[in-house]
Amino acid sequence: MGVVDSPNGRRGPGKKKRHSKRIGFHLDMTPMVDVAFLLLTFFMLTTTFSKSNTMEINLPPEMTEVKVAENNVMTLRIADDSMAYCSLGNEAPRRIPLYDTQDTHRHVLSTPLRQLIKQQAKANEKTVIVVKISDKAKYQQLVDIIDELNLMKIDRFSLDDFTEQDALEIKRAV
Amino acid sequence: MSRIKAKRVGFRLDMTPMVDVAFLLLTFFMLTTKFRPPEVVRIDLPSSHSDLKLPESDVLTVTVSGDNTFFMGVSSQQSREKIFNSVVKQKLIAAKFSSAAVQDSLKQFKLADSFPVERDELDRFVVMARFADQKLRPVVRADSDASFDAVNQVIKVYKKANLLTFNLVTVFEKEGR
Repeated sequence: MGVVDSPNGRRGPGKKKRHSKRIGFHLDMTPMVDVAFLLLTFFMLTTTFSKSNTMEINLPPEMTEVKVAENNVMTLRIADDSMAYCSLGNEAPRRIPLYDTQDTHRHVLSTPLRQLIKQQAKANEKTVIVVKISDKAKYQQLVDIIDELNLMKIDRFSLDDFTEQDALEIKRAV
Repeated sequence: MSRIKAKRVGFRLDMTPMVDVAFLLLTFFMLTTKFRPPEVVRIDLPSSHSDLKLPESDVLTVTVSGDNTFFMGVSSQQSREKIFNSVVKQKLIAAKFSSAAVQDSLKQFKLADSFPVERDELDRFVVMARFADQKLRPVVRADSDASFDAVNQVIKVYKKANLLTFNLVTVFEKEGR
């Protein structure tokens, strides 16, 4: 292990000897290379290049008010029962389950809800979707909805506070 | 047959190029690796299809854990120091801590990745962080089990501090639709 075999054997302090050429000098690199490979495998296995993914949200500034015609507004209310209440303008909200019941692990919005949003966005290009989520709902639902809207390439949506009025509105759902 | 069986005496393979490559890779991995700091709480991030990347510097992270407690973190140490001096220091002095103790906790505060924040104090900390560094990019890192109420609180605080564009940290979900 780690043999350094120099043909000269012992070397004295003499000037001449230091200058003499070391013919056939051989250094055993095996242990160093072993360690190098060990470290290499360690770093290769522990490195993950993943940086966290994010989704961006833009809030409208509080001061400015954007006026949108009533029938261009689609309100999507999420109550704590994981039901979505969809309404257009002033009409009574429709109750649609937020998720498909069969798969709870995949966080995909239910097909009727997706279709409704898609249809509305296609039918009226000026549609603004206002998402109001109850305080008792989960954060996951917010992410799922925004994700879905991003996938549908709908960027005209905003978040709003869920008020008492919305709770009343939900009661008259059909 | 006899040719195959012949022993290869003094067989030598030049390993130099392989070792060179190995060392190259080793240096690459050693230099690029950044060890992840230990997390204060385990956060189970929600998944999304967004593939935007989190910025590396100047981030203000508010973490909401599964049981709706808040943690705040700023990536630069200067901002941390400013936040400490403007908010935490007064509290410690009011609680009659000695100056040595204050210095000590400043040192710890500068090294800590994030610190727990009370719900009603969050806006003060966020405003101070904004004051300390104008270029901060706000980020919400919430557990998928956190209630919307808690996250909405953070969003409101951001809105109040005039941080209108922010990011939600998610993990990438591969399956397409």
